Amino acid sequence: MDRRQFLQMLGLVSGAAALSSCGSEKGQKELVSLLVPAEDGIVPGTETWQPSTCCECPAHCGLLTRVRENRPVKLEGNPRHPVNRGGLCLRGQAALWRLYHPQRLQTPLKRQADGRLQAITWAQALTEITEALQLSRQQGRKNTWLAGRTSGTLSTLIEELCDSLDIERLAEFEPFSHAALRQSYRLLLDQADLPRYRVEQADLLITIGADLLETFLSPVDYTAQASTLAADQKRHWMHLEPHYSLTGANADDRLVLTPGSEGALLLWLLHSLASQSRYQSRWSQTLQDLLPSTDLAATAGATGLKPQQLQELVSRLMQAKKPLLIVGGIATGHRNGQPVALFGALLQRLIALPWAGLDFSAAENYSRVGSLLDLKDLNQQLAADRIGVLFVSRCNPVRHSPTDLGLKAALAKATLRVGLADLADDTTDQMDLILPLAHGLETWGDTEPRRGIVGLLQPIASPRQQALSEGDLLLKLLQQATGKSPAADWAGYLQQNWQKRFSRAQLGQLMEDGYLFEPQPQPSIRLDQARAAKALRNLQLQAPLTLPAAVIAPSIRSFDGRSRSLELLSEIPDPLTTISYGSWMAVAPQTADRLRLRDGNELQIKTADWQSTQPVRIQPGLATEILALPMDSLPAPVTGIDPLTGEALRYVEGLQLNPTGKLHRLPILAGSPSQHGRGLIPKPVQRKKKNDLQHHGPRASFYPEPEYENYRWTMAIDLQRCVGCSACVASCYIENNVPVVGASDHLAGREMSWLRIEPFYDKHGRVDFLPMLCQHCNYAPCEAVCPVYAAYHNPEGLNVQVYNRCVGTRYCSNNCPYKVRRFNWWQHKRTPPLDQLRNPDVPVRSKGMMEKCTFCLQRIRIAKDRAKDDKRLVQDGEVTTACAQSCPAGAIVFGNLLDKESKIYRLTHSQRAYRVLAELGTEPGVHYLRPE
Amino acid sequence: MQNTSSTEQIEQDVLAAMSRPSRCYLACIFFAGLVFLGGMALWSRQIALGMGVAGISHPVGWGVYITDFVFWVGIAHSGTLISAVLYIFRARFRTSFNRAAEAMTIFALMVAGLFPLIHLGRVWLAYFLFPYPNQRQLWVNFRSPLVWDVFAVSTYMLVSLVFFFVGLVPDLAIVARRRPGFVGKIYRIASLGWVGNSQQWRHYTKLYFFLAAFATPLVASVHSIVSWDFAVSIVPGWHTTIFAPYFVAGAILSGTAMVITLVIPMRRLLRLETYIPISHIESIAKILLLTSLIVGFAYVVEQGLAFYSGNLYEMEQFRFRALGDYRLLFWIMVSCNAILPLTLFVGRLRRNLAYLFILSLLVNVGMWLERFVIVVTSLARDFDPYAWGNYTPSLTEIGITAGSFGLFFLLFLLFIKILPVLSITELKER
Repeated sequence: MDRRQFLQMLGLVSGAAALSSCGSEKGQKELVSLLVPAEDGIVPGTETWQPSTCCECPAHCGLLTRVRENRPVKLEGNPRHPVNRGGLCLRGQAALWRLYHPQRLQTPLKRQADGRLQAITWAQALTEITEALQLSRQQGRKNTWLAGRTSGTLSTLIEELCDSLDIERLAEFEPFSHAALRQSYRLLLDQADLPRYRVEQADLLITIGADLLETFLSPVDYTAQASTLAADQKRHWMHLEPHYSLTGANADDRLVLTPGSEGALLLWLLHSLASQSRYQSRWSQTLQDLLPSTDLAATAGATGLKPQQLQELVSRLMQAKKPLLIVGGIATGHRNGQPVALFGALLQRLIALPWAGLDFSAAENYSRVGSLLDLKDLNQQLAADRIGVLFVSRCNPVRHSPTDLGLKAALAKATLRVGLADLADDTTDQMDLILPLAHGLETWGDTEPRRGIVGLLQPIASPRQQALSEGDLLLKLLQQATGKSPAADWAGYLQQNWQKRFSRAQLGQLMEDGYLFEPQPQPSIRLDQARAAKALRNLQLQAPLTLPAAVIAPSIRSFDGRSRSLELLSEIPDPLTTISYGSWMAVAPQTADRLRLRDGNELQIKTADWQSTQPVRIQPGLATEILALPMDSLPAPVTGIDPLTGEALRYVEGLQLNPTGKLHRLPILAGSPSQHGRGLIPKPVQRKKKNDLQHHGPRASFYPEPEYENYRWTMAIDLQRCVGCSACVASCYIENNVPVVGASDHLAGREMSWLRIEPFYDKHGRVDFLPMLCQHCNYAPCEAVCPVYAAYHNPEGLNVQVYNRCVGTRYCSNNCPYKVRRFNWWQHKRTPPLDQLRNPDVPVRSKGMMEKCTFCLQRIRIAKDRAKDDKRLVQDGEVTTACAQSCPAGAIVFGNLLDKESKIYRLTHSQRAYRVLAELGTEPGVHYLRPE
Repeated sequence: MQNTSSTEQIEQDVLAAMSRPSRCYLACIFFAGLVFLGGMALWSRQIALGMGVAGISHPVGWGVYITDFVFWVGIAHSGTLISAVLYIFRARFRTSFNRAAEAMTIFALMVAGLFPLIHLGRVWLAYFLFPYPNQRQLWVNFRSPLVWDVFAVSTYMLVSLVFFFVGLVPDLAIVARRRPGFVGKIYRIASLGWVGNSQQWRHYTKLYFFLAAFATPLVASVHSIVSWDFAVSIVPGWHTTIFAPYFVAGAILSGTAMVITLVIPMRRLLRLETYIPISHIESIAKILLLTSLIVGFAYVVEQGLAFYSGNLYEMEQFRFRALGDYRLLFWIMVSCNAILPLTLFVGRLRRNLAYLFILSLLVNVGMWLERFVIVVTSLARDFDPYAWGNYTPSLTEIGITAGSFGLFFLLFLLFIKILPVLSITELKER
C-alpha cells in the first residue's frame, strides 16, 4: 500500500464514519439522497424541462418549466408553441411567484359570524355546499356558477356538474371582455370569437386604442409580431390613442386623439375609402347611404388631429398593399364604444379582407365570455333574492364592476357564497366559503386559448397543503351531492376525455410537446348586409368626451389587476414612468407647469360623483388635457357600464383638477427622463460610416491586451425591436435569484435589478428604450479599482464578480459608467415558501457584497460541460441568457464573438451596431443596434 | 543653556498643565467618551444589519464615511508640515505648535484609519486588503488606488508616530525627573534612558533632522495618493489631474485650521500665553491664508477646465455642483475656504484670536463640505442619466461622524494631561 492509497482508504473510512453519524434520521436521508439517485428518477443536480401552459392571463402561452430537485425554478416560453413562439412576458415569468406565494390559500376557509375566516376540512366544506344547494332548491332559489374564462376539458366538467346539480352556468366574467368588439363581429360577420390579427403580414398597421403589447388578447404573440414591423423600414405602424401607452410608444407614429372621437375618425376613414374604386366593389351603396355624413373639418375638430394627419392616414391606407386595422382596448371603453367597434369592423372588412388580416381560423376562444351586462343581470337577481348558492371561480367581479352597481352589497343576499381562488382578493373577501385552488403548475389540465390549439397542464409541483385543482374539487362535489362521479379523480376524467377526443399519436404529442396544434379551416366570413344596415340605422354617434378627461389605463405589469399581488411585478418598474411601487397619475408636462406640480405632488381630480386623489408623475408626450391613471391605482377601475355593449367604461370626463399641496415620495427609478444629448441611443442622423469596432486603432496601455482563446461571450441588443416590455427583467430576477427588496429600498435608490429598461424621451415626448445591464467590458473600469480582485476579467471576456472575495468597498460601482452593479445593503431573505423559488446553480449573495449581471454564467457552464463531454466547442445558439430567451421580440442575441459564423458576429458587425459610451474606451461586450 | 531660574520656570509652567484634572476637564472627557461610544454602537448596529442603515445608495456608493476619511487624513497633514517642514526651514514659531500638531496628526490618523473600515460592506474581511501570504495565492490588486491608500496611510502613521515619539524623548526625561514614584518610573522607561549629555544630544539632533527630512515628502505623497482614489477613476468630477496638488493644499488648509482651533483654547486654558506668543499664531494664520489662496485657485481652475473642456459629462457635473441640488453646500464651501480667509490679508484680524478661532472653525466646516461635495455630487451625476440619484446622510452616518470627533477630542484631552504639550527642551533653547 503506497501513501496515496493509504490516504484514499483513510478518506473513505472517515467519510463513511462521518456520514453514518451525521445528525438526525431525516437529515441522513436527505444527505444520502444527494449521493444515491432516488427511485423516482430525480437526480440531484440535474435539470429537467417539462412542457406546460401559462395560466397567468387568458392568452395561455406555452411553457417549458425548468425543474431542479423536484421544484419548478424557471419558466421559459416554449419555442415551438404557436401562441408565444419562445417568448414569455413578465407576468408569465412571475407565474412562479404565484406558485410560491406566501399568501396562497392553503385550506378551505369558512367565514365566521364575526367575519373572521376559520380553516375547515374539505369534507366540512363540501357538506356545507351540498346542504346549501339542497336548501336553495327547496326555497326555489337558483344556484349559479360564475367563472373566469374557461376552456378545454374543465369547461366540459363544469357543464356536467351544472347539469347534474341543476346549477345555472353564467356567462364567464373577464374584466377585458372585448364585449363591444365581439358584439360587432357577431352582428356583422356572425363570429362569436375574436380573430387573431395577422400583424406580421401587414405592411401598414393602424391600431386604435388596442394595446397590443400590454393586454390585448395575446400580448406575447402581438409583441413578437409587432417587433417585425419595427424592424422593417418598408412597413409602417400608426397608433391612435388619447393617452400614452407602451404600444403607442413603440408605434412608428403615435397620434393623439380626443377620447371618444375614435368613432368620428373611423367614420371619416370609411367615407374616404369607400369612395375609392379599389374598395367600391366590396361596399354597397345601401350601407354608404346609411353612414352618417361627415367631412374633413368636422373630423379634425372632433378628433383633435390636424387635417394633414388625417389625409396622411388615408393616403397611407390607399398605398398599402396589406393594410390592417385593429380597434379595441381603451377605444371602446366609453359611450361611443359601439360605433367605434362597428365602424372598425366595417373598415376592417373593407380593407383587410383580400388577404385575410383577420384570421378567424385561429380565433381567440371567447364564445363563453359575457360582459358587464351579464353581471348586471346577476346583480338584479341577487337583489331580488333569487340566488341561492353562488360559486365564483377564478375571477374578481367585485373589483371589476362599477361601485354604483352595488355588487358587494347584493352578494350578501345569496344564501351561500363560495369563492374558488388561489389568493385572497376583493371578491373572496365577500365569500362565506373560500376553497383553495391549485396553481396551473400543480395540476393536470388542458386549455384551448385559440381554435386549434390545445395546451397541456401537468403537475410539476405538488399542490400546496390542501389546495385542489378545480377539476378535482368539482368531482368531489359531484360525488358528495349525487353519490356518483364520472371519474375517480381529475386526472382520470381528463384521460377519459382525451382518449375520446385524441388519437394515440396526438395524445403522445400533447404529452411530449405540451401542446397540440391543428390548423383549422378558415370559416367563410360574409358581411351580413341586412344586419349591418339595421345596426347603422340604430347607431348614434355621440360627441367626444369633455376635456379634461382621465383614462383608466391597463398595465403591462398586472394585466387587468390579477397579477397585482405578485410582488415581483411591483419590483419591476412601469416601463414608461419607471415607477415601481404604489399608485400614481400621469399628467402632461404643460399641465404640471400650469398647476405648478412636480413629481409626487398630490392632485385631486373629481366630477360631481367621482373623485380620485393621487400623486402625479409628469409624463412627457401625454396630451395636455388628459390624465392617465393606471388601473391598479384605483380601487374600482371601472366607472360604468356601456348599456349598448356591456363594455366597461374606463374614462372620466369633465374633470376638475385640484392640487392638494401634499407631497408623496414616489419610487421613480429613472434619475432623468432625458439622455441630455449624450447619445446613449444615438439619433439616426448621427449614423457613423463605420462602427466603432473597426474605428478604433490599437490602444496604448501598460497592461497586456485581453486575449481570448475559444470564447468571447458577447450580446447584441436590437433597439429597433426592443419594446420595453420588461420580460427580460422578470426573467433575470427569477433566473439569478435577484433579491426583491420592496418599496422602502426603492425610495432609497436600492433596487437590485441586474437588468433594467431605461426609457429616454426626446423633446417631442417620443421614447426609446435602452436595456441596460453589465456591459462586460474588455477594459472594465470596475476591475482596475477593486483592491482584492473580486471584480476580475475571465478568459472568456466575462467580467466576473467573485462574491466570496468581495469586501464591499463599492468602488467598482462608483467607477462603473453604466451603473449596473448592485450592492447588498441588507441580508435579503424571502418569506417562505418563496425561498424555494431559487435557482440552485446561482449562489445567493449575503449582505455587504456587490453583485451584477453574469451573462448567465451558470447557463454557459452547462453548455460548456455538455460540449466538453462531446469533445467540441459550444455551438452558436446552444447557450443563451435568461433575458434573451424570454424576449418576445427577439431583440437580444447572445453568443461567441470569436465564432465568425455566428449570429452575434454578424450583428456586431452590422452598420447599425454601436456601443454605449464607447468614447470612454471601455470596449463593452454588449453591442446595441441603433434604431433607424 | 540659559540661566537656571528661567528654565525652571518653563518646566514648571509647561508641566503645570499635567496637574490633577479639574472637574470641567473630567466632564469634557466623559462627554467626548460618550459621543465616541455612541458612534461605536451605531457602527456595531451597521455591521449587524447591513450597510443599508447608512444613507449611501446607488449611484452614490460613497458618502459621509469617505468624506470623513479624507477630512481626517487632511487634518493629519499639518502635523508633519508644522513639525518637520518648519523644522528643516528653522522657522522659530514652530515650537509653539509642533507638539500639539504632531499629536493631532496621530490622533487624526487613528480616526481616519477607522473610516475605510466603517465603510466596508464586509468589514470582517478587511484583512483581504493587505498582501499577506496565503496558500490560496490570493493577492491584492496593486492597480487599485485603495491598496495604495493602505500603504500611504500606514506609512504616514508609522513615520508620524516615530517622529512624535523621538521629539518627546528629552521631555519625557524631564517629566520623569519631576514625577516621583510609579508614574515617574513609567516616564523613565519611556524616555529610553535619556540623560541629556552632549553625546546623546549630538546623536539626537542628527536623528531628529533625518526624521524630519524623511517625513517631509510624505506631506505631498499621502494626500496625493488619497486624491488618486478619485483621480484614477473615470467619474466626471473626480477624473482630473489637478487633484493631487489641490488635495494637498486643501489638507494643509484644513490641518492648519484645526491647529488653530486646538491651540487657541489650549493656550488660554493651560495658561501658556508666554510660550505661544501672538506673533507665532499670526505666522500660522499666514500659512492658512496661503493655502486658502491655492485652494481658491483650484476651485476656479476646476470649473474653468470643465467649462472649456467641451465634455458633456464634465460640464453637467460642474453645472450641477454650482447650481444643482447641492448648491447650498457648494457655496458654503467656497465662502468658507476661499472667500472668508481672504480677510487675513488684514493684519489686525490675523492677530485677533477670537476672530481666528471662529474662522478656523468655519474653514474646518468648509473643508469637510469640500470633500462631501467632491465625493457626492460627482457620483450623483455621472454618465447615465437614468442612474442619476441624490444622497442624504442617515442618522447612523451623522452619529458615527460625531463619534469620530468624540474619539479625536478624547485622545487630545488625554494627551494634554499625560504628555507635555509644548516641547520644553526647544523652549529652553529659545
